[in-house]
Amino acid sequence: MTVALDGVRYRYPAADSDALRDVTLAFGAGDVTLVTGRLGAGCSTLLLVAAGLAPHVTGGARSGSVTTLGADPASDEGRRQVAGRIGFLLPTPWTQLSGMSYTVREEVAFGPANLGWPRDRIGRAVSGAMALVGIEHLADRDPRTLSGGELQRVMLAGITAMDPEVLLLDEPTLELDPEGARMVYRLLPALAREKTVVLATTDVDRAVEVATRVVLLDRGSVTADGAPDDVLGTDRAVALGCSTTVAEIARVAGHAAPFPLTVRAAVRRFAR
Amino acid sequence: MSALRFERVWFRYGENPVLRDLSFDIRAGEAVALLGRNGAGKTTVTKLVVALLHPERGYVRVGDRTTEGRAPEQMAHQVAYVFQHPDQQLFARTVWAEVAYAPKQLHRDAPGVERAVGEALERVGLDAMHDEHPYDLPAAQRKLVTLAAAIAQRPRVLVLDEPTQGLDRAGARRVADIVRRIKEERVAVLAVTHDVTFMAEALERALVLAEGRIAFDGPAADLVGDEGRASDLGLDVPPAAQLSAALGLPQRPLRAAEVAAALAQDLDADRT
Repeated sequence: MTVALDGVRYRYPAADSDALRDVTLAFGAGDVTLVTGRLGAGCSTLLLVAAGLAPHVTGGARSGSVTTLGADPASDEGRRQVAGRIGFLLPTPWTQLSGMSYTVREEVAFGPANLGWPRDRIGRAVSGAMALVGIEHLADRDPRTLSGGELQRVMLAGITAMDPEVLLLDEPTLELDPEGARMVYRLLPALAREKTVVLATTDVDRAVEVATRVVLLDRGSVTADGAPDDVLGTDRAVALGCSTTVAEIARVAGHAAPFPLTVRAAVRRFAR
Repeated sequence: MSALRFERVWFRYGENPVLRDLSFDIRAGEAVALLGRNGAGKTTVTKLVVALLHPERGYVRVGDRTTEGRAPEQMAHQVAYVFQHPDQQLFARTVWAEVAYAPKQLHRDAPGVERAVGEALERVGLDAMHDEHPYDLPAAQRKLVTLAAAIAQRPRVLVLDEPTQGLDRAGARRVADIVRRIKEERVAVLAVTHDVTFMAEALERALVLAEGRIAFDGPAADLVGDEGRASDLGLDVPPAAQLSAALGLPQRPLRAAEVAAALAQDLDADRT
């Protein structure tokens, strides 16, 4: 497993309760893992802790153990170890801009350049990543003039250009139009073949189409972890407001769990 | 008379024309979704309404006056604007002060301010939060604070930029309820959104922007219930409407509650 949390608690500075409580989880390559829950359940915090950004950047206090790519990512040694090997996408792409680049191409090259790669390798990685997320037409634009959706794709390209082993994506489609969102979700299964892909979102309707594993959080604790149908098809997930629209409709209509999650599954079950 | 009118409006950023000869009208009490791909000019339209921007050609009229020569603060007695990201908008030290700011600036007397703030906070369900610092609240509630501030302005036109973005299902539902109620009070609502479920639940008319022009203007139900047309315009169909079509439910309901009711009838028919 590339990321392992064992008995982790985390509390933000000045907060009066824990954002994560006794979380024990492991993530590895092969799965697209969806982490979901109500807002405030701790989904984003889980990604920050896995990357070591909490508590290293956010402050606050963590207990329990976190091992990412063989080391504690919040320790000095761990941070050296994971540099360039974790791709972290923030839900607010404008806060992730380097502020050092005049074109999108330079922005996408920022990460690889900082890893000290040779010039031709950077060029190849940047072109490949821009093609992958479909932003070649933006190559010469000033990143500061892009719309939120365009910027979110630029940031995703910047991360994939570094070819990281772990991708931690926090609401990666928040700013995207429906086509952009579909494109991002389509990329994930292929990326997950060799990388550890963990996606935190409340956009369960779309995410469930690609997720192979779901972790459901409630007030900082893991309440379910497993195959999408087993985690989200339950009364509990629907009652929490964390399942799909289709599951919710099936439950309101009076059907019994397990609920179908997608339109396709509902048709299989209800069509006559 | 229309509450908001765009008449042959042109606008460009530098060399890039964003709006080309855009015209539309919104009546009092009408709730309209403004849709379109990333970069289509949706946010530009909202900034023109509140006079943060002015047309290069054509005019924007709110009530009986155009925005020509007017500054945003001169629009505040007629138009309220809820930003896409609450953190770009919030500035006061308490929730109460945040929501009271506009009514005070609009020279309401003290009991008038008190009443407007109290009602607005009750409407969004934050009446117990008067003394909280907005930044101590979770993101979803910060968004509701900005919505309350807009309600307290008692505008004729309410402009919302992605009002459900980043909210979980419960939060999005609450915003839909709030918007339905505002509309009943004869306020004209213009909501930029990618969230077609929110549109189906709360807005009755859709304007789709493409290439700086109107690509569709008609009942929201005509987009929500027509997958081919929606997909041509780069839009999704909400899962509830997809399910309704896929199961061939009688009268093709589009809203989640109606789809669940139709499915429940099916279930009852099976039982008897």
